[in-house]
Amino acid sequence: MDTLIANLSLGFSVALGLQNLGLAFVGCLVGTLIGVLPGVGPVATIAMLLPVTFSLDPTGALIMLAGIYYGAQYGGSTTAILVNIPGEATSVVTALDGHAMARRGRAGAALGIAAIGSFFAGTVATMLIAALGAPLTKAALLFGPTEYFSLMVMGLIFAVVLAGGSIVKALAMIMLGLLLSTVGTDLETGDQRMTFGQPFLWDGIDFAVLAMGVFGIAEILRNLGQPEDRDLVRATIGRLLPSRQEMRQSLAPILRGTLLGSAFGILPGNGAILAPFASYAMEKKLADDPSRFGKGAIEAVAGPESANNAGAQTSFIPLLTLGIPANAVMALMVGAMTIQGIIPGPQVMTGNPSLFWGMIASMWIGNLMLLIINLPLVGLWVKLLQVPYRLLFPAILVFCCIGIYSINAQVTDVLFIGLFGLAGFILIRCGFEPAPMLLGFVLGKLMEENLRRALILSRGSLTTFVTEPISAGLLAVSFILLAVAIVPNIRRGREEVFAE
Amino acid sequence: MRERDNKPGSAAPDSPVRVSQNLVGGLSLVAIAALALWLLRDLDAGSLTAMGSALMPRVLAVGLGILGALVAASSFFHRGLVLERLPLRGPTLVILAIATFAATIRPLSLGSVSLPGFGLIVAAPLSIVICGFATRDARLRELVILALSLTPACMLLFGDLLNLTIPMLPDSIMALFPDGWSQKAMLRASAAAMLAVAAVLFFSSTRSDVGDARKKD
Repeated sequence: MDTLIANLSLGFSVALGLQNLGLAFVGCLVGTLIGVLPGVGPVATIAMLLPVTFSLDPTGALIMLAGIYYGAQYGGSTTAILVNIPGEATSVVTALDGHAMARRGRAGAALGIAAIGSFFAGTVATMLIAALGAPLTKAALLFGPTEYFSLMVMGLIFAVVLAGGSIVKALAMIMLGLLLSTVGTDLETGDQRMTFGQPFLWDGIDFAVLAMGVFGIAEILRNLGQPEDRDLVRATIGRLLPSRQEMRQSLAPILRGTLLGSAFGILPGNGAILAPFASYAMEKKLADDPSRFGKGAIEAVAGPESANNAGAQTSFIPLLTLGIPANAVMALMVGAMTIQGIIPGPQVMTGNPSLFWGMIASMWIGNLMLLIINLPLVGLWVKLLQVPYRLLFPAILVFCCIGIYSINAQVTDVLFIGLFGLAGFILIRCGFEPAPMLLGFVLGKLMEENLRRALILSRGSLTTFVTEPISAGLLAVSFILLAVAIVPNIRRGREEVFAE
Repeated sequence: MRERDNKPGSAAPDSPVRVSQNLVGGLSLVAIAALALWLLRDLDAGSLTAMGSALMPRVLAVGLGILGALVAASSFFHRGLVLERLPLRGPTLVILAIATFAATIRPLSLGSVSLPGFGLIVAAPLSIVICGFATRDARLRELVILALSLTPACMLLFGDLLNLTIPMLPDSIMALFPDGWSQKAMLRASAAAMLAVAAVLFFSSTRSDVGDARKKD
């Protein structure tokens, strides 16, 4: 306990420095901005802003990028409530009842409870990261290549099970991602793999390029095909503080949402995205009168909003303790850390405590800032929502081009975001989801490296993965999960969750 | 993001060719897998004790091919969603805008064609305007104003404030400035000039354009 307090006070002393405070604020502001704007997500934004972090120190850079990620969770709810369009993927559920509340003239209360719930969830998640950081890091030091490989397999299986739609399609996307990650020079043998003899492919495909293509450009292409109708609530937003009765109704959902979100967030394989869905389904099951759901039940805003913010924050845990990115945003964090010369993994906490604890402390400070950015300034964000998409997407496109060009000063990178964007668009049109592909790509290199090492240690015997106890346990969990997901009954239940 | 995906294809009854999404998607994956296997043909897979460079990608490509084939085959057993006709206008103009940016940002030589580098001051406005026409609601004047205000903002932000190494101005513009001007001074002056033009365009057009916009919305 004492060390925890000592660690946190170290963290706060770092995070409260003037520069880091400023960077956390900029991150939260940008995060809210892109969260509010539909069609720009945190993945594309962080990829665009990677070059900006070149000139910052590592702690400041990570504080800012983290702020963008969880800031987007706050901002997304504003759009969901006021316009009925989820600003972010994680605020889809909020749109259901949040917007219904807004139509009944309770927009202010919905925004208020979303922010309060998120803040509470953010606080709990921050404490959870601080508390779990040290023991998990210790556990991670016991992990060898065999365990790492199995852990990543489990992460990928989670991603498949948690993704919506067909399991086979999600598996195929993982394979495609893994395959793309093997393009380039093989570090062990020096062979050029699938490079077409082109020098710009020798280093492999840059993750930022793939992410920006699939999440930036493909997203633009998809949105262009959809008619723009924004059902902006024109009525006044009203009092931002929920009434006493509404507070009482929301208390338990906030607690449950925080719990669910934190648990889902820690899971490798982008669990954070499912947390709000799970929370919504749970609240509906527990409610005295489930028919109110969809017509503006405040529990259906409070629970999912807490869940998505908690999940966004606890998804840092696998990265900070194990060095394994759980989703695309975390993979970009790996990129940002690598640029700064830091190798993510258990050694960050011991070797670089001011970075580790500074980042954690800044998350709490950031959550506090977001409360201020979101509630009193909501009028500003409403104004922003009136910017039509026809002016927004050319701006996004140019930012993507500038961002990707300034990372490596390569014209081919610019062309490749177009190529990946088009490919991603066609895949989306064919009913494939790009998110598992990105996760496969992120983990591919690490997996191959660990597989190779594990096989050297076991002298070429594949049975090592099932004879080592930890690894066997991890693989068993993944196998059971996959089996369960294929069982028809549960499949149906899962589809119901997504259909809502 | 996926949740917004409201099942493309479900509402295309008048599409002339009815191909299943799964067939097209699955076959594309098989094609990618085949391409990967072909590219890997000369590499050594090694053994499990000493993995060669081709082992992992080859296994993955085979896996991808099998899964792709499964997806494609599923289209024969149950009628899945139909692939909607892909729109042409959006993707074409967006790709064209990206290619224009790539071609103009710095000197380019492709075979016999060679272009001098124009820098961000030309690349950004060009791609904004081209890309803007990807939607049918595009209005030229509005896009020009956007281009002339966003570009200088980017120049100041990325070039002046953050010192990123992006070419900003072409030589021809830099030659216009008197000797002794620093790079940054030239950058600021050109940005200010663009902003001024944008402001003039914006204020001269507010009355008529806002009227149009009101009618259109």
